[in-house]
Amino acid sequence: MSTAVLALRQRLRRVPLSVIVVSIIFLVIVLLAIFAPWVAPADPNRQNLLGRLKPPGFEMRGITYWLGTDDLGRDLLSRTLYGAGVSLSVAVLSVVVSSLVGVTLGMIAGWFRGKIEILIMRLVDIMMSIPAILLAVLTVAVLGPGFLKLVLVLGLTRWPRYTRVAYAQTLQVANLPFIKASELAGAGAARILFHHILPNIAGPVLIVATAEFGLMILMEAGLSFLGLGIQPPASSWGSIMSVGRQYIERAWWIVAFPGVCLFLLVFSVNVLGDWLRDQLDPRSRSR
Amino acid sequence: MSAKFASVAAMLLALIASTALAQTKDTLTIDLPNDAATLDPHLQWNTDSYSIYRNIFDNLLTRDVKGEIVPQIAKSWKYLDDKTIEFQIRDDVTFQDGTKLTAEDVAFSINRIIDPKLKSPQLSQFDQIAKAEAVSPTVVKMTTKSPYPALLAQLVKLSIVPKAYVEKVGDQEFNLKPLGSGPYKMANWQKGVQTELEAYSSYWRAKPPFQKVVFRTVPDVSTRIADLKTGKADLVRDVPPDQAESIKNDANSQVLSVPTERIGYLFINAQGGVTKDVRVRQAIAYAIDRQALVEALLEGYGKPVEVLGAEPVFGYTDKVKGYEYNLDKAKELVKAAGAEGATVEFLTSPAYSRATVEAIQQMVNEAGLKVEISSSDQATFLKRRQGDPANAGGLAFGAWSCACQDVDGVIFPLFRTGSIWAKYSNPKFDEAVDKARVILDKNERLKLYEQAYQVIKDDVPGLGLYQAYALYGANKKLKWQPTANEAMFVMDMSWQQ
Amino acid sequence: MLRYAVERLIQAIIAIFGVLTIVFVVMHLSGDPTLLLVPQDASAEMIAQLRSQLGFDRPIWVQYLEYLGGLAHFDFGISVVQRVPAFDIVVSRLPYTTMLAAGALVVAIGMGIPAGIVMATRRGGWLERLLTAIVVTGQSVPTFLSGIVLIFVFGVTLRWLPTSGSGDFASLIMPSIALGAISMSTFARMTRISIIDELGKDYVRAGRARGLSLGSVVFRHVLRNAAIPVITIAALEIGNLLAGAVIVETVFAWPGIGQLAIQSIQSRDFLVVQVIVLLISFVYVLTSVIADFVYALVDPRIRLVR
Repeated sequence: MSTAVLALRQRLRRVPLSVIVVSIIFLVIVLLAIFAPWVAPADPNRQNLLGRLKPPGFEMRGITYWLGTDDLGRDLLSRTLYGAGVSLSVAVLSVVVSSLVGVTLGMIAGWFRGKIEILIMRLVDIMMSIPAILLAVLTVAVLGPGFLKLVLVLGLTRWPRYTRVAYAQTLQVANLPFIKASELAGAGAARILFHHILPNIAGPVLIVATAEFGLMILMEAGLSFLGLGIQPPASSWGSIMSVGRQYIERAWWIVAFPGVCLFLLVFSVNVLGDWLRDQLDPRSRSR
Repeated sequence: MSAKFASVAAMLLALIASTALAQTKDTLTIDLPNDAATLDPHLQWNTDSYSIYRNIFDNLLTRDVKGEIVPQIAKSWKYLDDKTIEFQIRDDVTFQDGTKLTAEDVAFSINRIIDPKLKSPQLSQFDQIAKAEAVSPTVVKMTTKSPYPALLAQLVKLSIVPKAYVEKVGDQEFNLKPLGSGPYKMANWQKGVQTELEAYSSYWRAKPPFQKVVFRTVPDVSTRIADLKTGKADLVRDVPPDQAESIKNDANSQVLSVPTERIGYLFINAQGGVTKDVRVRQAIAYAIDRQALVEALLEGYGKPVEVLGAEPVFGYTDKVKGYEYNLDKAKELVKAAGAEGATVEFLTSPAYSRATVEAIQQMVNEAGLKVEISSSDQATFLKRRQGDPANAGGLAFGAWSCACQDVDGVIFPLFRTGSIWAKYSNPKFDEAVDKARVILDKNERLKLYEQAYQVIKDDVPGLGLYQAYALYGANKKLKWQPTANEAMFVMDMSWQQ
Repeated sequence: MLRYAVERLIQAIIAIFGVLTIVFVVMHLSGDPTLLLVPQDASAEMIAQLRSQLGFDRPIWVQYLEYLGGLAHFDFGISVVQRVPAFDIVVSRLPYTTMLAAGALVVAIGMGIPAGIVMATRRGGWLERLLTAIVVTGQSVPTFLSGIVLIFVFGVTLRWLPTSGSGDFASLIMPSIALGAISMSTFARMTRISIIDELGKDYVRAGRARGLSLGSVVFRHVLRNAAIPVITIAALEIGNLLAGAVIVETVFAWPGIGQLAIQSIQSRDFLVVQVIVLLISFVYVLTSVIADFVYALVDPRIRLVR
């Protein structure tokens, strides 16, 4: 392990500029999300019915609305800042839940094979053949709305993607000589799975996770569009955009700013994910 | 020679005729949010379905532009006693297959909709009717279970179907290929896509204004408005007040609006949670600025109301005053009830305006309560809202219309003890509305409803917020006066070049 | 091979059966359509009466057995909302869904794979950055937003394309782009990664050492080998496309299965939802089986395990 860390450190010295820029963007978004209560100029839920749908720079009663106001006269800058936290945590938590469940099941199926393999992989088939958004809508109808339930719904509908990848990779890795060796040396299944197999399948899993990260934000947005996402007055970037789309001619700024933020976030996560994966995968170092 | 001349003349005539035709509008296209669920008029009663099928069928009675009940298939009617009413049926009406409409068809229509075997979702609107029989080819006698003053208002919604045809093809086929006596006959129903109707040339009232009418299914309101602006649609329904401006700014489009009998109201649970305390409910009433709601969110397409009712509805009163907006009083009452910071759940669904719900939340929060919005899909919302009071939430916003223009269809289902919507019980209220339901004297009824409104005002199990306006986006050339009951009769429309 | 196919088929049937059961149970836990069907002034007795007429007051296992009984002789039941056979309702929407899925796949593959190839072979260049930005845009704009922007730009302002509808080819263009955009990103990324993986392999180095140009190595050898993961994704994306179609079809008033599915769930039209789920899982299983066989064709070394 330690040699791998050393090698990684060595590689980090040659970090391309784009990755540095992207890391900064990502970090800034995360920091803004965390410190939104201190950074935001106004209460994100404070309405001002006389100042609805006003453009960026609008001033009223001594308050400047730098990014304009939404359909209830709320400060869009503050809402976008607070929304960052909601969008990020929905995405991060649901990716964590789904990858934990998915990777564990995938490794189990790939390592133990036999009946448990068939059981898990057929369950994957079942889950994958129900469109996630339909399953999510159905589950929200049963469980009711709410932040944690949302994370649970997203997490529990998306795990099969990780399972497929983890399973396929485990099958490949399981036959590598060093794994065979440690198995012969009497290492337990848990030790082999988490110490030897997991690090070797992390690259492909990371690819799925970075793709899923953006998709989770979009899924939440989609549920918001259907009125089943995050509960108002709390906002996510997705829910701000799903409200703003009907004002697109009259107040373009409502969708524009969360949209740009979402783009930057997904962009930085993708670039970072690709780069990290390249670093983890020894084969792809060459150009 | 003369034959040649005649043919030339005929060609010229045809040419003139065709240019004249080109000037009139051939096909009217209407965008609805959903496809009709059923076109059998005795099955579903929802706006999308009846917007279409009420053009295929005639009703026993109808309402004029002023909202008065006037004859349609029935020429006249008279009460034989409190429970028996006799209708004179027109004898110049034919169904679209050419057969004559008789009293038999009218009696059949009534008996069909109240027959449990049809499993009609509309049954509850007509269940006060015991039976109907054809006394002669032009006379129908109808008996109700008890004296029922809202009967005529309900019969406005009864479509007359052809007995012989329905019996011949069966219920299932009739739903797919409906046939009535109305101005338009079914041409083609592409489920989920569009419904095409064609003018019935021998319609008894007048020649239908358009040769063809197409109802398209366009769920997203922004898309409906885009369709209107590009001329893909001539009339679109369910325009939110916020979007009216963008339609007005378009050179080819106009906004048609009319005050309706629909009331925006706030339900306050009197049997569960912190709102059990009448002081909390009154505090909520004081906390709500109805004027601001109407001006800001409805952009003027609405009118603040004092009671849970509107002018076009029989039983509406201006003698009972509502609560004025008074935040200090609201805070005081919340404090007096010891409910400061108490959580109130606000149930809602995507069917209701999110902005209005959020605005109300903010207003009630300012009175010192903590309102939490809980939005679920409509089925779940109804299940909770109509279920056990303890689980029915503290608040819910709604927009109520019975399409019957009678208060009996508004406050009775909303607040009468035992009704699914009522999370409230007051014998005084029950007595008034029960009595008003079974007497036919208009003044007596008005007085009883005034009493009922006073009880509601004191107890605040619900709060009238505003009278909603119906908003339609239309091509500038379309001439149409929409009505308070939100009906969509193509017969009332015309096209001006 | 034959044994494998039979085994696979049996497992597929079990999987579809599982899907139906899960959806049936979840649907029934979420309530029934009675409240949505009755007029607002219905009394509690009326509601109870209609509920029992429609059969929703019976225990769930009785309803389930009845449903299975119907399925056994291909009776999918009659929609309680529309009073039309559920199967007919779904089948009438199929052509639209097929058209839209095909259109979206054309957009996704037609743009995604070339973009992926360029991104893999021009790493670090400005072209890669530009393509990455485009791909990420496709991935970070919700379809409900991209859809309405397309409608206003190309429909209302430029008047190039119809704003909604399903009648002709022109009305297929915008929904296909909106729906294909997300999958396009997936294809581009997957293609890029597979090619990069292949480029690191010995045969490529050997080929390059023999003086072959990068382009000819890529086109002669790499693409073929990189195709396998991309085929997997293509099979999976069909499922994703159907899910994305829910919103795209709503925005563009495209009368496909996605729109029908969400409406049927919302109106608790159970039997219609069941037919849709049955159909989608059937298509899913079919495509993943086909994908397995395509692997075998593309790369005979692959053992058919799964």
